[in-house]
Amino acid sequence: MAEITKEELMTSAPKKKEPDKAPKLTGKIVKPKIVRGAAGHNKPYTAKPELMEKLGFPGQLVDNWQEAAIRKMGELLEKYKSLQVYMDICVRCGACTDKCQYFLSTKDPNNMPVGRAELFRKVYRRYFTREGKILGKIAGAVDFDLELLAEWYSYFHQCSQCRRCSVFCPYGIDTAEISMAAREIMDSIGLGEKYVVEVLGKVHDIGNNLGMNPKALENALEFVEEEIEEETGIPVKLPLDVEDAEVLLVTPSADFFASPHMESLVGYAKVFHQAGINWTFSTKASEAGNFGMFIGNYGQMKKVASRINDAIHELRPKRLVVGECGHAWRVAYQFWNTLIGPFDTLNPKYPRPQHIVEFTLDLINRGALVIDKSANDEFTVTFHDSCNVARATRMGDKPGGQFELPRELIKAVANNYVEMDAETIKAKTFCCGGGGGLLTDEIMEVRINGAMPRMQALHNVMETHGVNFMALICAICKAQFTAVFPKYGVPREVAGGIHQLVGRALVLGAKE
Amino acid sequence: MNGISLFYIAFAYVAVAIFIIGFLARVWKYAKTPSPLNITLTPGPTSTTGVVYRMVQEVGFFKSLFYSNRIIWLGGYIMHLGLALVLIKHFRFFFTPAPASLAWITTFEAYAGFIFLAPLLFLFALRLITDRTYYISLITDYGILALLMLIAATGILTKYYVRTDIIDVKAFVMGIVSFSPAAMPMDFIFILHFTLVMLLLIYFPFSKLMHAGGIFFSPTRNQADDPREVRHVTPWAVKG
Amino acid sequence: MGFEFNGKFYETDDDGYLTNLDDWNQEVANYIAQQEGIEMTESHWEVVNFLRDYYSEYKIAPMIKILIKEMKKMFGPEKGNNAYLYQLYPAGPALQACKIAGLPKPTGCV
Repeated sequence: MAEITKEELMTSAPKKKEPDKAPKLTGKIVKPKIVRGAAGHNKPYTAKPELMEKLGFPGQLVDNWQEAAIRKMGELLEKYKSLQVYMDICVRCGACTDKCQYFLSTKDPNNMPVGRAELFRKVYRRYFTREGKILGKIAGAVDFDLELLAEWYSYFHQCSQCRRCSVFCPYGIDTAEISMAAREIMDSIGLGEKYVVEVLGKVHDIGNNLGMNPKALENALEFVEEEIEEETGIPVKLPLDVEDAEVLLVTPSADFFASPHMESLVGYAKVFHQAGINWTFSTKASEAGNFGMFIGNYGQMKKVASRINDAIHELRPKRLVVGECGHAWRVAYQFWNTLIGPFDTLNPKYPRPQHIVEFTLDLINRGALVIDKSANDEFTVTFHDSCNVARATRMGDKPGGQFELPRELIKAVANNYVEMDAETIKAKTFCCGGGGGLLTDEIMEVRINGAMPRMQALHNVMETHGVNFMALICAICKAQFTAVFPKYGVPREVAGGIHQLVGRALVLGAKE
Repeated sequence: MNGISLFYIAFAYVAVAIFIIGFLARVWKYAKTPSPLNITLTPGPTSTTGVVYRMVQEVGFFKSLFYSNRIIWLGGYIMHLGLALVLIKHFRFFFTPAPASLAWITTFEAYAGFIFLAPLLFLFALRLITDRTYYISLITDYGILALLMLIAATGILTKYYVRTDIIDVKAFVMGIVSFSPAAMPMDFIFILHFTLVMLLLIYFPFSKLMHAGGIFFSPTRNQADDPREVRHVTPWAVKG
Repeated sequence: MGFEFNGKFYETDDDGYLTNLDDWNQEVANYIAQQEGIEMTESHWEVVNFLRDYYSEYKIAPMIKILIKEMKKMFGPEKGNNAYLYQLYPAGPALQACKIAGLPKPTGCV
């Protein structure tokens, strides 16, 4: 990489004039020959000082950034076993080199999981190991200079923390942990990603990623109620801030705003209505997503999660259910109990928290809902396993329930279901390309590329089986595919939520 | 006893001390560094027994690597197998009389060194051939392979070609183990072999070879998938 | 960041969205539209005006569904749909319509 100044590093790259082109859809995922530096020009906008300071980070790159970064690295090595162990034990065997969606599409070797991790390790070895201090470059130990920092900023924002590499690593090395630590270090020296930092600021100020205030939220819910009533003639309610309800539903705020997210919102509402369960949303907990995880900042993650706890104490629900959102479900499933648990006030008969798919499928299996599968006959459905759901969570009691339950639910509400290539689903699923804080338009090239493996697999089933609906359980997946489908020549409408299908097939008012 | 013997005896004590202390210090660091959150890779075992089974599959069969890349698995697995045979074979130098339970090793006696050396060559070549692994390989990666190959080669030479006297070697090693030093066999190939092994022991705790101890501390593999049932608590995470 | 127009400097974010809601007027909207390659017709203006009205009340752009429903009222059922919206603003309502309306870019998982 060429010489770079602090100012250049902090300046957001100018927008490209030519539109981003998508790779060709051939149905095949080919292991490419490496092209050095092919994706190095990608970088998301940097966060402005006022946004950074709001989260307690320095406004801009501090003068002694190198010293501060190394100090922070030392601190994280003491705090995270994952980071410490993963710094030491990689043998560079190469097993992960062809597993990342960003490498397969950009061909840039720094987008190979080990290539990305080595950007971190070369600094670690230089300042924290005897091997690196004595042997220097021979042992791959390198000074942390501005050029390397620029590479960090570029490539650690081309990792969606999807954990696919970890599946294939003989030691389970999880690049997500390393990229989270890298972002935490960059934030701590004043180099933050605008998208994530801005969203976190909105959660703290207003309560959700979108910055939707209670009045707007109320308006959106009323609108959805009107829509459902217009369509079905049945007054389905979407209650807000109801005390002592049976269920508090926490869902990504995108469900109140975007398409096709909102169709799943309709689905949730119909399920609760038809099951006759008293439920509520909360203005305080109007966001399931937790971008604190993307930047590896424990304090931010805990602060965002604490809003859920506040809502539980204010509204006193008996159960806690989480809507369709991938990384949110990871934070909820793996981290909430630690961050804001134990959930002593919630009914222990049900999982704390419970996923909306677990919730709805349970109702269907108990015969509490009447389903007309033919309502979805116009669709041939496939299912995209969201990376965070697949590799960091579970549904139900058995390992792998996170794969089986969504499929069971789809098959319970739709007649035509087709599976994509086995190498691209379940534990081996590819990220949609927009996860982990990459869902921002200035790096659309990264997003389009990242979607490539999934697009190839989808292309295959569209061609061979006429698939015209890819069911999703993640707000980021929905937004990402809606944005990149047109670039690949696939209609936007092919992307939708599982509860969109549920909502269509659910027969309202048919009970008794 | 001559000066060379004295030097090598001292060298051996220093090397072994560095290895043991260095290894334990590293493992101690892994053990005491907290894991603030449950980050197990799913689908995964939901119980401790399940975690042990998962670890056995990984350490005993390199399961993930097998599903990831059969060629690297083949090279890596046979290399480690060869290493295990070679190590077991060397146990005979540490016990008098040699334990009867190790008698079966004589079956592999003749091949052990080759089972170790051949995959090392294969892994070395693999690094050079694939553009992706060539890109990520450090000089030290080749260096460790080269060091192991030299150790294997000199070991094979002492057995088949220059035939170091096994009785003398055993006396020398037993002398070190029992703290009553005996003279070193003055055989160039053996001395070279011994020197390289000591260098390996010294380098071990400071290198990627720590994967040997580190794998047991990998949180994605050693945690049970039970975060909803069991609250995962570490001091700083609950305070922070 | 920002741009000069009619002798006045307009501050924007990295993507060219006006930073100050009050800086907006028809002329500057026309100018931004021009940069986006859009010629403002009556229908374009109706969408923009609705977005601004909604924003001034709710401090956020309306969800697309609300916008489309409103378009149904404004243009009739055959034009009150997603396709027509994208015909007006090919890069999407959030990316182009909000920009021309002088609203901040909606971000989150959208």
